Amino acid sequence: MKGLIYLYQRTILNRIKKALKKPMTYVALIFILLYVVMIFWSFNMMIKESNLATPENLVTVLACIVLLILPSNIIGYSKRRGLLFRPSEVHFVFQAPVSPKMILMFAGVKSFFMNILLGIAIFIFGIYWFHAGIVQMLVYFLFFVVFESILEASIIIFCYGNERLHEKFFKGLTVVMYAFMAVVVGIGVYLLLTREAEFAVIRDYLAMPVIQLIPIVGWNIAVAHLVFLGPDVINVIGTVLFLGSTLGMFVLARKMKCTGEYFEDAMKFAEEYQIRREKAKKGEMTNLRFGKKAKYKEASVEYKGNYAKAIYFRQMLEYKKNKTFIFGWNTLLCLGLGILIAVYGYVNDIEKVFGPWKVFVIPAVAAYTVFIFSGYATKWSKELENPYTYLIPDSPLKKVWYSTKIEHIRAIVDGILLTLPGAVVFGMGPVLTVLTVLLYICLMANRLYYGMLADAIIGKSLGNTGRTIVKMFLQGIAMIVAIVAAAVGYFIWGLDAGFFLMILVMGLLTFAGAAIASVSFMKMEVLD
Amino acid sequence: MLEIQKLTKKYGKNLAVDQVSFVVPDGKVGILLGPNGAGKSTIIKSIAGLLRYEGGVGIQKMPARSLEAKRIFGYVPEIPAMFDALNVREHIEYIRRAYDSGITNEEIDVLLKRFELDDKQNKLGNELSKGMMQKVSICCALAVKPKVLMLDEPMVGLDPAAIKELKEVVLELKEQGVTILISTHMLEMVKDLWDVMFIMEKGKIVGEFTREQAQDEDIEELFFKITGGGEA
Repeated sequence: MKGLIYLYQRTILNRIKKALKKPMTYVALIFILLYVVMIFWSFNMMIKESNLATPENLVTVLACIVLLILPSNIIGYSKRRGLLFRPSEVHFVFQAPVSPKMILMFAGVKSFFMNILLGIAIFIFGIYWFHAGIVQMLVYFLFFVVFESILEASIIIFCYGNERLHEKFFKGLTVVMYAFMAVVVGIGVYLLLTREAEFAVIRDYLAMPVIQLIPIVGWNIAVAHLVFLGPDVINVIGTVLFLGSTLGMFVLARKMKCTGEYFEDAMKFAEEYQIRREKAKKGEMTNLRFGKKAKYKEASVEYKGNYAKAIYFRQMLEYKKNKTFIFGWNTLLCLGLGILIAVYGYVNDIEKVFGPWKVFVIPAVAAYTVFIFSGYATKWSKELENPYTYLIPDSPLKKVWYSTKIEHIRAIVDGILLTLPGAVVFGMGPVLTVLTVLLYICLMANRLYYGMLADAIIGKSLGNTGRTIVKMFLQGIAMIVAIVAAAVGYFIWGLDAGFFLMILVMGLLTFAGAAIASVSFMKMEVLD
Repeated sequence: MLEIQKLTKKYGKNLAVDQVSFVVPDGKVGILLGPNGAGKSTIIKSIAGLLRYEGGVGIQKMPARSLEAKRIFGYVPEIPAMFDALNVREHIEYIRRAYDSGITNEEIDVLLKRFELDDKQNKLGNELSKGMMQKVSICCALAVKPKVLMLDEPMVGLDPAAIKELKEVVLELKEQGVTILISTHMLEMVKDLWDVMFIMEKGKIVGEFTREQAQDEDIEELFFKITGGGEA
């Protein structure tokens, strides 16, 4: 126990000391402060303008918070993935002579701390916005922070520390919680769709007796009803059941024998989480589900060339083994956007809305998508981590090209999916359609190479966020130059020429970016 | 004494360790050898209490999962993982408090000096190289003042000076009556250290020798005689 306290103390102090030395901390603090002020201001406006400041609405907001947090927490705990242990904790804490239940509480502290913060926020906003009484808020704070944390701690011990109940029980509990969430959300959505989409609909729905009698989650909501709206049969029963379940779970958790068998699950989760964290730092996409390894098909490829070309063929082999080949979420996004543009054009009279400028609708959507979505790292970026990439006896520019060639093929397909549906509906000619696809390819290439360029310029000194900002800045400049070129071309030679000039300028800027960025392929050190 | 009784571990339907039993007596150095995939890491992690298993693990006659056993058990995992925000000295301080081990500041100074970490005491966990992490991991295990010490591939990543130091530490601990189990592939590194050898293959112990039984036979020859590999 003394060790765990020391660990928390030193970790917090050292982190604060380190953060205070970084200028980025102060920038981040300003942004957070502005964000909080903005959120406060917008909620303030909303609550005052919509006359939401009633005890009933406060109860609805609290019920929504409970529904948002509690079921997902219980699901996490029942899957033994709700608590995050780091590999260092597996190494040093699991081995220590500390009760495994205490170790669970050590990990749960983060979650309890969040409860306290949220409880304080609810306390302040309850009084300020909803004009609730201080005593009422204090009583609710007692329930929300103290009793709720005791209940959550007991649930953690019950789910993690339980060495008697079979794994199937917890799988069943997870399924039940998912089903519960689906039913609650489903009914809510149904009511909003069939009745008027108003806050009152949600309020009446969450005030239903049946909701307040749902085990744990509903009983929690019943407490809010009792505290802020006064007693009725249902909320008194719900509150008594909440207190009873908290006490029962607490006694059960205390008595339960726990020798630390959960260490195995916690260790696996810690390892997976660490891998995902590292991938996320590099901007790579990760599997959505924990504990599932990617499956690959059998595939082969014929290497039609040597040196840098081998990079392309090796990537092709890897992609052929993928279930979705080179396609992924971006392909679906492009298809979805393409259909949306077409539907929009079909429903509205596009000629009337945009006139001759309709040809710029698809490029604008494409540019927005490419600019806003910072992109995800694919196989090409892994080439930069592979020493062989640098050792292959070929020029850096060729290595850049063959490492990224598949990205361009992918961009062609995505560009067609994004452009074609809209182009047909808008009645765009084949030349303009091809030019639009080309523009998308250029934009994607631009994003890719300017990302590489940002890496080469700043290395790892500003982290992933810094890299994205620099990349977006460079991309923004390229886009502005291309738009100016398009405008000049349009006024001198006409629309098609303007469009063509835009792609030409964008293409040249992209090539320039690629040529400069190829320095990344000269030596690994650039990225360090 | 470290006692393993009928230890069995399954990953799904895959039997990784099958009814393994062995004992490392007090003040002896046991080495656990075996080719890749033999089940060594599974046994090590089971002894360390990181895996569920069937069977029993005893540390000085106490169940390995009991707090009393943990108090006298030191473990150096194969891959060390440091606390990002703790420096080298703070890692050891944490161990001192967590185990109430009674290690003095002077003893910590000596330990850090032996492993050439005395000038890196203020380096944070995320600033350490792999080799340095391994040294810190070893120092932390020693700071427990263990009666039973288990080392999983302890020499990997260490520089020659640290390997030499570690070997000396192992011999000193042995003199003090500490029971030690080392799992390794580096046969050459442990040939002067071992008292009992356990050779694993396909989840089972396929060979067990004391140094007396092995007489003057070379450790490599013994290993390859049992596992059948190593021919040129």
